[in-house]
Amino acid sequence: MTKKTPHDTDVSFIKALAELLRENDLTELQVKRDYGENDSLNVRVSRQQPGQVVTQKAAAPAPVAAPAPSAAPAAAAPASDDVDPANLPGAVTSPMVGTVYLAPEPDAANFAKVGDTVNEGDTLLIIEAMKTMNHIPAPKSGTVKRILVEDGAPVEFGAPLMVVE
Amino acid sequence: MSTDLTPLWDAPATAEFWPQDYQRTLLAQVDSTMAEARRMAPQASGSTWIMAQEQKAATGRRGRPWSQPKGNFAATLLLRVNDDPAQAALRSFSMAVALRQTLAMSVPPEQLSLKWPNDVLLAGGKVAGILLEAIGQGGRVDWVSIGVGVNLVAAPPLDQVEDGAFRPVAVADYGTPPSPQDFLFWLASHFGHQERLFKEFGFGPIRRLWLHDAARLGETITARLPNEEITGRFETVDENGYLVLTTAKGARAIAAADVYF
Repeated sequence: MTKKTPHDTDVSFIKALAELLRENDLTELQVKRDYGENDSLNVRVSRQQPGQVVTQKAAAPAPVAAPAPSAAPAAAAPASDDVDPANLPGAVTSPMVGTVYLAPEPDAANFAKVGDTVNEGDTLLIIEAMKTMNHIPAPKSGTVKRILVEDGAPVEFGAPLMVVE
Repeated sequence: MSTDLTPLWDAPATAEFWPQDYQRTLLAQVDSTMAEARRMAPQASGSTWIMAQEQKAATGRRGRPWSQPKGNFAATLLLRVNDDPAQAALRSFSMAVALRQTLAMSVPPEQLSLKWPNDVLLAGGKVAGILLEAIGQGGRVDWVSIGVGVNLVAAPPLDQVEDGAFRPVAVADYGTPPSPQDFLFWLASHFGHQERLFKEFGFGPIRRLWLHDAARLGETITARLPNEEITGRFETVDENGYLVLTTAKGARAIAAADVYF
């Protein structure tokens, strides 16, 4: 199992880069930070249109918001690596900072898997913060196209969680 | 011990001092008060306390079993809110503060402390559990269900609790336990006050009340996340409610974890 190290300092760092981008009217900025052996942070911040800042974080050893292996079947969809999943139509994003749970409890079946048909309001996953279990509902009826987070992963505000189309 | 809750329930004093804008429902038996709150939410007209004398399938966080010996307290507050999820989650602290205030009426207050985010410890042991579920749509939360279980008369045996890191204790071990209905009356009253503070002034006053009784503030504690364990100096709880630890690699603000010490 890979160990995740989502430093909060990373988040502020990325935020600072996004600010820099906006202030200097740049379209793209890429920075690599080495923390030590097998521990680095690779950030590319790019702006697709005025006023819209897109961040993509790829931190070693494991990215925080990278597509989970289960997202592989979605390769059929026209999703290139350059597209932030948060901007895909049908993307469900996190309304808060917390920990993701894909199943109601350990050893239980996941709320949803790729290919499932879901109805508007169905619980897709839970995000826990401060012992509060937030049920994240499907914003509309459709099919689960991608699952972009792993069970137990920490997520930031606005992080893409699933794509339902 | 009397199991008839009706007399006090209907007593004039209860009616007079029960917090305004809260309803209450008393059940002899239910699967769990959290499940009942889930069923009630779509039809509920306002915030409602749901109390059960007996729960057949009570659970703690993440499906952990919750044992409720007879005479102990179990209730869920179905709370009407209109908040974003991060705000709604701060009720974790409001209920912990209200629960501490209520317990302080039955046991020596100096024996009570708080563990992030919502555990109330009695002489360092686990005397209660609080569990929250947020229900909403479109990034807003409409209802927060806050489940509260308290070991009033008896603590479950150590082998019946999944996480034995904090030994189970009961109010009866350190004082005279109130009846579940008396306990609800005071808890509802204290929480009603905390909720008014929250609506009027935000998280600030609740955060200060919570920090005042925090266990191990300034000491080294461990936060266990699903994929990571963080040990550091417990600095504070920030304005978002996050646990702030100073580690060898710098400060970490943690939104979700189990705390051990």
